[in-house]
Amino acid sequence: MAERIPMISVRDLYKSFGEHQVLTGVDLDVEEGTTCVILGGSGSGKTVLMKHIIGLLKPDRGQVFVEGEDVVPLDDLELERVRRKFGMVFQGAALFDSMTVYENVSFPLREHSKLAESEIRKRVLDKLAIVGLHDVAEKYPAELSGGMRKRVGLARAIVRDPKIVLYDEPTTGLDPITTDYVDEMILTAKEKLGVTSLVISHDVASSFKVADQIAFLSDGKIVAHAPPAQLRASTHPVVKLFLSTWFGKN
Amino acid sequence: MVHPVEDRPQAEVALKELAPGSAVLALSGALDVHTAAATRREISTQLAGKSFQVVEVDASRIQHGDASGMVILYELVHGRFTPGVQATLRGLRPELEKLLGAFPKPEDVQAAEHLAARKPIAVEVGMATLGLGRDFLEVVAFLGRLSIALAGVVRRPRWLRVTELARVFEKAGANALFIVSLISLLTGLIIAFEAAQPLKQFGAQIYIANMIGLVMVRELGPIMTAIVFAGRSGSAFAAELGTMKVNEELDALKTMGLDPTRFLVVQRVLAGTVAMPLLTAYSMAMGILGGVIVTKLMGFPLSLIWRQLTAALGLKDILFGIIKAVVFGTVVSGLGCYHGMHTRQGPSAVGDSATRAVVSGILLIIVIDAIFSVFAFALDI
Repeated sequence: MAERIPMISVRDLYKSFGEHQVLTGVDLDVEEGTTCVILGGSGSGKTVLMKHIIGLLKPDRGQVFVEGEDVVPLDDLELERVRRKFGMVFQGAALFDSMTVYENVSFPLREHSKLAESEIRKRVLDKLAIVGLHDVAEKYPAELSGGMRKRVGLARAIVRDPKIVLYDEPTTGLDPITTDYVDEMILTAKEKLGVTSLVISHDVASSFKVADQIAFLSDGKIVAHAPPAQLRASTHPVVKLFLSTWFGKN
Repeated sequence: MVHPVEDRPQAEVALKELAPGSAVLALSGALDVHTAAATRREISTQLAGKSFQVVEVDASRIQHGDASGMVILYELVHGRFTPGVQATLRGLRPELEKLLGAFPKPEDVQAAEHLAARKPIAVEVGMATLGLGRDFLEVVAFLGRLSIALAGVVRRPRWLRVTELARVFEKAGANALFIVSLISLLTGLIIAFEAAQPLKQFGAQIYIANMIGLVMVRELGPIMTAIVFAGRSGSAFAAELGTMKVNEELDALKTMGLDPTRFLVVQRVLAGTVAMPLLTAYSMAMGILGGVIVTKLMGFPLSLIWRQLTAALGLKDILFGIIKAVVFGTVVSGLGCYHGMHTRQGPSAVGDSATRAVVSGILLIIVIDAIFSVFAFALDI
């Protein structure tokens, strides 16, 4: 049987900004249908890595494969095609403030397809239901709480049925209960849509809750990559230190 | 009374390697002004040649200490002994903890060091030149993207987003009418009044009409309108796009496969290019009206004023002013969008972009106007 091609595959990725080396040889595979969390401290380069995967940044060296296709040499036009496979949930949700929730979520559909209004409406309401939102379609983002904005962000990310959903620090700045909601939302999206998810986070608790695999990024490299249970047994000093903040020293 | 040295409590340093790359540094005894120098040497010796990713400082057995001793802990915690690795501290007595807490935060220290670090002038000049080169390349890239986006809109008019275009046009154009009226009318009045006195000496007051006509149509109409436009709309474009950049909305657009230049910049540049000449034409009329009011007050009949105006002003003068206005409109709105799209991160970034948009806008208006004047003189327009 032929080996399955990973959904996302990063090979020997290097990136520096000026003199500051951010990524120094990252290798990462994310299998189809799984949720991989990239865990790491602030400033460890998690967001930079994610922006390479979706083609918002170009590396100094290395390759990024999406479904086996190297996206690094692609130009903007070709990248648009690849980006259709992705939905991205931004840290601050990045909703368009001048549009209602309905307009925000329907936006990618309207821009890229010639669907009838009734079809657009059906899809938008479907996706809002998946993320557990009802009766907010006509509200503006400013009227929503942080957790709800994240959910609208996810609804917008999945409205075109992407294969991969990227989450940029989904639980940062949220209270514990809202964090829990957002974790549930990530699990639900995976279960109902069967998407491959890549989450970047420094939140140990929520990472252990949502992840099938956790990749630990430190000093610009992936220093550990394992299912959550195995990661706890890691002997890498930084990983140990990081996990001890949540699990305690023993 | 001074104790002999051997009576004083000493400090002890013990480095224990736990796992590869991880170590505990146990300090005990007295960590004060008397022991600090020796302790510092001892720590340096023990850490020399070793590389740890994690260092924990066990301070539970430090009996007493003072500021000199706490400096050592401070330096350990902020990675001065072990470059790149910030040690964690545990077990320090509360009273010493308080003392340690009195030291400045690393970012404050860094800020002070930053101020102190002056670079040689050759380095400064070199870096500034490289920076200018980079800025130039970015402007060229921006113009390239804008041209491609404009070409795209010509091919697919649906991409123009007429409602957005109309919204921007209303904000930048229609809503500016009041301020443009006021400024232009008053400018016309002021110039007429100021000119009245010297012209009176020659009995040439009727030429106020000629002068106001030429000045408003060829120079002040376009320039005053462009400066108002830079202050109102150039800054607004920079702030709108800058806020979207900071909120990652521009990245969101890209991930949805939409080009922010086509989606946001094209509408603003087009609206500016169309709104500016219209506003300018209006400003010319208002300025002339101001001059006419003054001349009329001086007792000249309207028919005479009109004859003077039409004699002084030709179609080429009006076209000259309007063409300048078109260029100003494109440049100011383009600059506003450029600075907005290149907004950096940080709390004051959006404000900085808006300021840059206005300042560079006004500067370019004057420079372009000067170029127009030279050409007009050379070509006798």
